[in-house]
Amino acid sequence: MKYWLRKLDIGLRIYYFVMIVTRERCKTGIEELDSILNGGIPRGNTVLITGSCGTGKTTLSLEFLTRGALMGERSMYISVTEVPEKLIENMSTYEFFDMNLVKEKKLIFVDLQEIYVKLGLEKLEFTLEDVNILVEQIIKIVKELGIKRLVIDSITSICYRLTSREQIREFILQLGKALSDMGCTTLLVSELLPSAAGYSQYGVEEAIADGIILMGNLERRGDLLRTIQVIKMRGTTHSRAKYVLDLTPIGILLAPLLKGGSVEVR
Amino acid sequence: MSVSSNIVDKLSELPPASSLALYVDVNTYFDALRAIVDIFATKNDLYVFYISSTIPSKNIVGLLEILGVDTSRVFFVDTISHLMANAGEMSDKFLYIESPTMLENVMLKIEYLLRKYNDKKAIVVLDSVNSMAIHNDLKILSEFLHIFVTSLRSWESYMVIISMKEQNSEEMINMLNLVCDDAYDAGGEKK
Repeated sequence: MKYWLRKLDIGLRIYYFVMIVTRERCKTGIEELDSILNGGIPRGNTVLITGSCGTGKTTLSLEFLTRGALMGERSMYISVTEVPEKLIENMSTYEFFDMNLVKEKKLIFVDLQEIYVKLGLEKLEFTLEDVNILVEQIIKIVKELGIKRLVIDSITSICYRLTSREQIREFILQLGKALSDMGCTTLLVSELLPSAAGYSQYGVEEAIADGIILMGNLERRGDLLRTIQVIKMRGTTHSRAKYVLDLTPIGILLAPLLKGGSVEVR
Repeated sequence: MSVSSNIVDKLSELPPASSLALYVDVNTYFDALRAIVDIFATKNDLYVFYISSTIPSKNIVGLLEILGVDTSRVFFVDTISHLMANAGEMSDKFLYIESPTMLENVMLKIEYLLRKYNDKKAIVVLDSVNSMAIHNDLKILSEFLHIFVTSLRSWESYMVIISMKEQNSEEMINMLNLVCDDAYDAGGEKK
């Protein structure tokens, strides 16, 4: 927090304080992404990680959690579509991944299906009451375990069970607010069709989230490049340029996209 | 003095983080390889990160072995084998890129090697800018080299861009003059 003393000159000498609040950052641990975000994601933000299949959304989210756990922040991954065992197996190919993080419960994997069973929510469509029960349960887990980083993969699969845009709005708003109050930084993974015009499947998620990170495929003369772009991020200045990313054994690396008459296919 | 020792002397004059445009012809090409990969890299205990866009990496290894060069410190970023459907299994020693047009991926693979093998400094060799120019237009190639050379400076890596004299155009020479700190003509026939 920085304080500046300013003089207001309207005949009288009145001094007043201008308080510039620099929000605490949650470093993603992906060096270039933190640099793009001017130090990291503002702590407590709810960020939509959006893009079509094969663009690296899950890998980025898992690296965010693992790096956080390595920095001492308890992290949790709520999986909707893949079983935790398979995710952990995939993660073991990364050199920064340490199985002890899972054993010591610094990195926790939760299968949402099990929560649905526990709450009796094994149905195709949720009512508003069901939404509230689900949000309360997630918040309860986050609070009890002292989670500082959360990933829900994917929010699209949950929204699929919600019957109206209002329900989706209510769900993300409630969840985002409660998690932010607890200082938990959240990534909501959103699946996007390659032909989609906006940044989310239902058009509601993008408006409510504090940040949007768009991951895509870019075609250039027959080559398909993975790209990443921070569209918005409340609470920080950031680059809005597009970068090319590579998923390497030491983690995600980014390079600036060369400007050479590219055609995007998302 | 031999071509190899002249090139080594020229490289030795340069401070780390320098970039050199090295003009060779078919007669001096192998001397240049020996000078960079063997003599200079060994003398300064450097890793060699070799970007191959003319000859597949496995063939370069074969050539270096014939020349009696130790290739244990050499890592390849191979941009050509995939095009020839000749790429082998990916390893840190042989990193394959689908095409020489994926210039960002060349930067990313070199960055990967620089981050992973950071116990020593490195010399990055681009062989050759002329082959890259076959697949990329000069505008995007200039942009790539400018960003690449600048980023390598922050790693304090040497960069050598090999240019075949008989394939050079005036625009190519102008581009190399713009992006490199220095240039050296290893002799042989001029265009």
